[in-house]
Amino acid sequence: MVYVSRKYGFSATHRLHAAGLSDAENRAVYGKCNNPFGHGHNYEVEITVAGPVDAVTGRAVDLAALDALAAREVTGPLRYRNLNEEVEAFRTIVPTTENLTFEVDRRLRAAWAGEFPAGVPRLEKIRIWETERNICEVSGL
Amino acid sequence: MIISKKVEFSASHICRAPGLSDAENERVYGAAANPLSHGHNYIVEVAIEGEPDPVTGMILDLKLLKNVLEERVLSVYDHRLLNREVPSFGNLVPTVENIAIDIWRRIERHIDATGRARLYSVRVHETSELFVEYRGGA
Repeated sequence: MVYVSRKYGFSATHRLHAAGLSDAENRAVYGKCNNPFGHGHNYEVEITVAGPVDAVTGRAVDLAALDALAAREVTGPLRYRNLNEEVEAFRTIVPTTENLTFEVDRRLRAAWAGEFPAGVPRLEKIRIWETERNICEVSGL
Repeated sequence: MIISKKVEFSASHICRAPGLSDAENERVYGAAANPLSHGHNYIVEVAIEGEPDPVTGMILDLKLLKNVLEERVLSVYDHRLLNREVPSFGNLVPTVENIAIDIWRRIERHIDATGRARLYSVRVHETSELFVEYRGGA
Protein backbone atom coordinates (compact mmCIF):
# COMPACT_ATOMS: atom_id res chain seq x y z
CA MET A 1 0.00 0.00 0.00
CA VAL A 2 1.32 3.42 -0.91
CA TYR A 3 -0.17 6.85 -0.47
CA VAL A 4 -0.05 9.12 -3.53
CA SER A 5 -0.76 12.82 -3.17
CA ARG A 6 -1.49 15.12 -6.07
CA LYS A 7 -1.98 18.87 -5.88
CA TYR A 8 -4.32 21.03 -7.97
CA GLY A 9 -5.13 24.71 -7.87
CA PHE A 10 -8.03 27.06 -8.51
CA SER A 11 -8.76 30.69 -7.77
CA ALA A 12 -12.11 31.85 -6.48
CA THR A 13 -13.96 34.53 -4.56
CA HIS A 14 -15.77 34.08 -1.28
CA ARG A 15 -17.27 36.04 1.55
CA LEU A 16 -17.56 34.71 5.06
CA HIS A 17 -20.89 35.79 6.49
CA ALA A 18 -23.15 33.60 8.61
CA ALA A 19 -26.87 34.30 8.14
CA GLY A 20 -27.54 33.45 11.79
CA LEU A 21 -25.22 36.13 13.14
CA SER A 22 -25.66 39.91 13.34
CA ASP A 23 -23.51 42.16 11.18
CA ALA A 24 -21.42 43.08 14.24
CA GLU A 25 -20.97 39.42 15.16
CA ASN A 26 -20.00 38.53 11.59
CA ARG A 27 -17.38 41.26 11.59
CA ALA A 28 -16.06 40.03 14.93
CA VAL A 29 -15.94 36.36 13.86
CA TYR A 30 -14.64 36.69 10.31
CA GLY A 31 -12.76 40.01 10.37
CA LYS A 32 -11.79 41.24 6.91
CA CYS A 33 -13.11 38.00 5.39
CA ASN A 34 -16.57 39.47 6.08
CA ASN A 35 -16.05 42.27 3.52
CA PRO A 36 -19.44 42.56 1.75
CA PHE A 37 -17.74 42.80 -1.63
CA GLY A 38 -15.99 39.47 -1.15
CA HIS A 39 -12.34 38.64 -1.73
CA GLY A 40 -10.42 35.81 -3.33
CA HIS A 41 -7.73 33.21 -2.87
CA ASN A 42 -5.52 30.93 -4.89
CA TYR A 43 -6.68 27.67 -3.39
CA GLU A 44 -4.59 24.52 -3.53
CA VAL A 45 -6.26 21.14 -3.23
CA GLU A 46 -4.20 18.07 -2.36
CA ILE A 47 -5.88 14.72 -2.95
CA THR A 48 -4.29 11.69 -1.27
CA VAL A 49 -5.23 8.21 -2.43
CA ALA A 50 -4.17 4.85 -1.00
CA GLY A 51 -3.73 1.65 -2.92
CA PRO A 52 -1.43 -1.16 -3.98
CA VAL A 53 1.19 -0.60 -6.68
CA ASP A 54 0.16 -2.27 -9.94
CA ALA A 55 2.75 -4.90 -10.90
CA VAL A 56 2.74 -3.92 -14.58
CA THR A 57 2.57 -0.12 -14.50
CA GLY A 58 4.28 0.56 -11.18
CA ARG A 59 1.48 2.99 -10.41
CA ALA A 60 -0.90 3.06 -7.46
CA VAL A 61 -3.31 5.38 -9.25
CA ASP A 62 -4.11 6.21 -12.85
CA LEU A 63 -2.98 9.85 -12.70
CA ALA A 64 -4.77 10.73 -15.94
CA ALA A 65 -8.03 9.46 -14.40
CA LEU A 66 -7.41 11.35 -11.15
CA ASP A 67 -6.55 14.54 -13.06
CA ALA A 68 -9.72 14.17 -15.14
CA LEU A 69 -11.84 13.60 -12.02
CA ALA A 70 -10.33 16.59 -10.21
CA ALA A 71 -10.83 18.81 -13.26
CA ARG A 72 -14.42 17.71 -13.78
CA GLU A 73 -15.59 17.75 -10.16
CA VAL A 74 -13.42 20.35 -8.45
CA THR A 75 -11.17 22.72 -10.32
CA GLY A 76 -13.43 23.08 -13.39
CA PRO A 77 -16.62 23.99 -11.49
CA LEU A 78 -14.86 26.15 -8.88
CA ARG A 79 -12.24 27.98 -10.92
CA TYR A 80 -12.85 31.72 -11.22
CA ARG A 81 -16.19 31.45 -9.44
CA ASN A 82 -17.83 33.36 -6.68
CA LEU A 83 -18.32 30.47 -4.28
CA ASN A 84 -21.20 32.11 -2.39
CA GLU A 85 -23.14 33.02 -5.51
CA GLU A 86 -22.27 30.32 -8.00
CA VAL A 87 -21.82 27.08 -6.05
CA GLU A 88 -25.07 25.51 -4.86
CA ALA A 89 -23.64 24.12 -1.62
CA PHE A 90 -22.68 27.59 -0.41
CA ARG A 91 -26.10 29.16 -0.82
CA THR A 92 -26.90 27.95 2.68
CA ILE A 93 -23.54 27.33 4.34
CA VAL A 94 -20.55 29.63 4.77
CA PRO A 95 -17.69 28.89 2.32
CA THR A 96 -15.01 28.65 4.99
CA THR A 97 -12.01 26.47 4.17
CA GLU A 98 -13.55 23.84 6.45
CA ASN A 99 -16.81 23.74 4.52
CA LEU A 100 -15.00 23.95 1.20
CA THR A 101 -12.95 20.90 2.19
CA PHE A 102 -16.13 18.97 3.07
CA GLU A 103 -17.66 20.03 -0.26
CA VAL A 104 -14.63 18.93 -2.27
CA ASP A 105 -14.57 15.63 -0.37
CA ARG A 106 -18.30 15.13 -1.03
CA ARG A 107 -17.90 15.85 -4.76
CA LEU A 108 -14.98 13.47 -5.14
CA ARG A 109 -16.64 10.66 -3.16
CA ALA A 110 -19.86 10.99 -5.19
CA ALA A 111 -17.93 10.58 -8.46
CA TRP A 112 -15.22 8.21 -7.23
CA ALA A 113 -16.83 4.91 -8.27
CA GLY A 114 -17.44 6.27 -11.76
CA GLU A 115 -13.73 6.89 -12.28
CA PHE A 116 -12.37 4.01 -10.17
CA PRO A 117 -15.04 1.28 -10.43
CA ALA A 118 -13.08 -1.31 -8.43
CA GLY A 119 -12.76 1.14 -5.53
CA VAL A 120 -8.98 1.02 -6.00
CA PRO A 121 -7.32 3.24 -5.02
CA ARG A 122 -9.44 4.60 -2.18
CA LEU A 123 -9.77 8.28 -1.40
CA GLU A 124 -7.72 8.78 1.75
CA LYS A 125 -7.47 12.48 2.48
CA ILE A 126 -8.18 15.98 1.18
CA ARG A 127 -6.13 19.00 2.19
CA ILE A 128 -6.96 22.52 1.08
CA TRP A 129 -4.66 25.52 1.36
CA GLU A 130 -6.59 28.78 1.43
CA THR A 131 -3.33 30.62 1.88
CA GLU A 132 0.12 29.35 2.71
CA ARG A 133 -0.79 29.58 6.38
CA ASN A 134 -4.38 28.29 6.45
CA ILE A 135 -4.71 24.61 5.69
CA CYS A 136 -7.68 22.34 6.29
CA GLU A 137 -7.68 18.55 6.14
CA VAL A 138 -10.36 15.84 6.16
CA SER A 139 -9.76 12.12 6.00
CA GLY A 140 -11.64 8.88 6.36
CA LEU A 141 -15.12 10.35 6.00
CA MET B 1 8.10 10.36 18.50
CA ILE B 2 8.83 10.81 14.83
CA ILE B 3 11.63 12.85 13.28
CA SER B 4 12.09 13.46 9.55
CA LYS B 5 15.09 14.25 7.45
CA LYS B 6 14.94 15.64 3.94
CA VAL B 7 17.48 15.04 1.16
CA GLU B 8 17.43 15.66 -2.56
CA PHE B 9 18.68 13.97 -5.66
CA SER B 10 18.31 14.67 -9.36
CA ALA B 11 17.75 11.84 -11.80
CA SER B 12 16.16 10.93 -15.08
CA HIS B 13 13.71 8.15 -15.81
CA ILE B 14 11.51 6.66 -18.49
CA CYS B 15 8.03 5.49 -17.52
CA ARG B 16 7.18 2.74 -19.96
CA ALA B 17 5.98 -0.73 -18.99
CA PRO B 18 7.29 -3.48 -21.30
CA GLY B 19 3.95 -5.33 -20.99
CA LEU B 20 1.97 -2.42 -22.46
CA SER B 21 1.66 -1.19 -26.04
CA ASP B 22 3.05 2.22 -27.06
CA ALA B 23 -0.45 3.67 -27.05
CA GLU B 24 -1.19 2.26 -23.59
CA ASN B 25 2.11 3.55 -22.23
CA GLU B 26 1.34 7.00 -23.52
CA ARG B 27 -2.12 6.92 -22.01
CA VAL B 28 -0.93 5.65 -18.61
CA TYR B 29 2.19 7.77 -18.20
CA GLY B 30 1.53 10.75 -20.49
CA ALA B 31 4.62 12.84 -21.19
CA ALA B 32 6.59 10.67 -18.74
CA ALA B 33 6.53 7.86 -21.34
CA ASN B 34 9.05 9.72 -23.53
CA PRO B 35 11.51 6.96 -24.53
CA LEU B 36 14.37 9.47 -24.50
CA SER B 37 13.77 10.06 -20.76
CA HIS B 38 13.20 13.19 -18.68
CA GLY B 39 14.29 14.17 -15.20
CA HIS B 40 13.25 15.59 -11.85
CA ASN B 41 14.72 17.08 -8.71
CA TYR B 42 13.41 14.56 -6.22
CA ILE B 43 12.98 15.39 -2.55
CA VAL B 44 13.08 12.45 -0.16
CA GLU B 45 11.70 12.78 3.35
CA VAL B 46 12.60 9.92 5.63
CA ALA B 47 10.74 9.68 8.95
CA ILE B 48 12.04 7.52 11.77
CA GLU B 49 10.30 6.62 15.01
CA GLY B 50 11.84 6.21 18.44
CA GLU B 51 12.25 7.76 21.87
CA PRO B 52 14.79 10.49 22.65
CA ASP B 53 17.85 9.24 24.49
CA PRO B 54 17.72 10.59 28.08
CA VAL B 55 21.32 11.81 27.88
CA THR B 56 21.55 13.32 24.39
CA GLY B 57 17.89 14.26 23.95
CA MET B 58 18.04 12.79 20.44
CA ILE B 59 16.19 9.83 18.94
CA LEU B 60 19.16 9.12 16.72
CA ASP B 61 22.35 10.89 15.81
CA LEU B 62 21.13 12.45 12.58
CA LYS B 63 24.62 12.29 11.09
CA LEU B 64 24.11 8.54 11.10
CA LEU B 65 20.82 8.87 9.21
CA LYS B 66 22.45 11.28 6.79
CA ASN B 67 25.27 8.79 6.16
CA VAL B 68 22.81 5.96 5.53
CA LEU B 69 20.92 8.13 3.03
CA GLU B 70 24.09 9.23 1.29
CA GLU B 71 25.57 5.74 1.04
CA ARG B 72 22.42 3.73 0.33
CA VAL B 73 20.34 6.16 -1.72
CA LEU B 74 22.03 9.31 -3.00
CA SER B 75 25.21 7.61 -4.16
CA VAL B 76 23.04 5.17 -6.14
CA TYR B 77 20.36 7.54 -7.46
CA ASP B 78 21.86 11.00 -7.85
CA HIS B 79 22.50 12.15 -11.43
CA ARG B 80 21.62 8.75 -12.86
CA LEU B 81 19.23 7.40 -15.45
CA LEU B 82 17.23 5.23 -13.04
CA ASN B 83 16.10 2.67 -15.65
CA ARG B 84 19.65 1.87 -16.75
CA GLU B 85 21.85 2.62 -13.78
CA VAL B 86 19.90 1.49 -10.73
CA PRO B 87 19.59 -2.32 -10.72
CA SER B 88 16.24 -2.28 -8.88
CA PHE B 89 14.66 -0.83 -11.99
CA GLY B 90 15.97 -3.40 -14.46
CA ASN B 91 12.50 -4.96 -14.61
CA LEU B 92 10.48 -2.42 -12.68
CA VAL B 93 9.16 0.91 -13.93
CA PRO B 94 10.80 3.69 -11.87
CA THR B 95 7.55 5.43 -11.01
CA VAL B 96 7.62 7.58 -7.90
CA GLU B 97 5.68 4.77 -6.16
CA ASN B 98 8.39 2.23 -6.92
CA ILE B 99 11.14 4.70 -6.03
CA ALA B 100 9.63 5.16 -2.55
CA ILE B 101 9.42 1.39 -2.03
CA ASP B 102 12.97 0.87 -3.30
CA ILE B 103 14.36 3.54 -0.96
CA TRP B 104 12.52 1.90 1.97
CA ARG B 105 14.12 -1.46 1.13
CA ARG B 106 17.57 0.09 0.82
CA ILE B 107 17.56 1.81 4.20
CA GLU B 108 15.18 -0.06 6.53
CA ARG B 109 17.68 -2.56 7.97
CA HIS B 110 20.32 0.11 8.45
CA ILE B 111 17.94 2.22 10.53
CA ASP B 112 16.86 -0.85 12.52
CA ALA B 113 20.52 -1.79 13.06
CA THR B 114 21.04 1.39 15.09
CA GLY B 115 18.89 -0.15 17.82
CA ARG B 116 17.59 3.37 18.48
CA ALA B 117 14.90 3.88 15.88
CA ARG B 118 12.77 2.18 13.26
CA LEU B 119 11.87 3.47 9.85
CA TYR B 120 8.39 5.00 9.89
CA SER B 121 7.82 6.33 6.37
CA VAL B 122 9.51 7.31 3.14
CA ARG B 123 8.04 10.21 1.21
CA VAL B 124 9.28 11.02 -2.27
CA HIS B 125 8.27 14.26 -3.94
CA GLU B 126 8.65 14.03 -7.71
CA THR B 127 7.32 17.53 -8.36
CA SER B 128 5.71 20.14 -6.12
CA GLU B 129 2.39 18.64 -7.22
CA LEU B 130 3.01 14.93 -6.75
CA PHE B 131 4.38 12.91 -3.88
CA VAL B 132 4.13 9.38 -2.56
CA GLU B 133 4.37 7.99 0.95
CA TYR B 134 5.24 4.38 1.80
CA ARG B 135 5.10 3.00 5.33
CA GLY B 136 6.26 -0.53 4.60
CA GLY B 137 4.22 -3.69 4.17
CA ALA B 138 2.32 -4.93 1.14
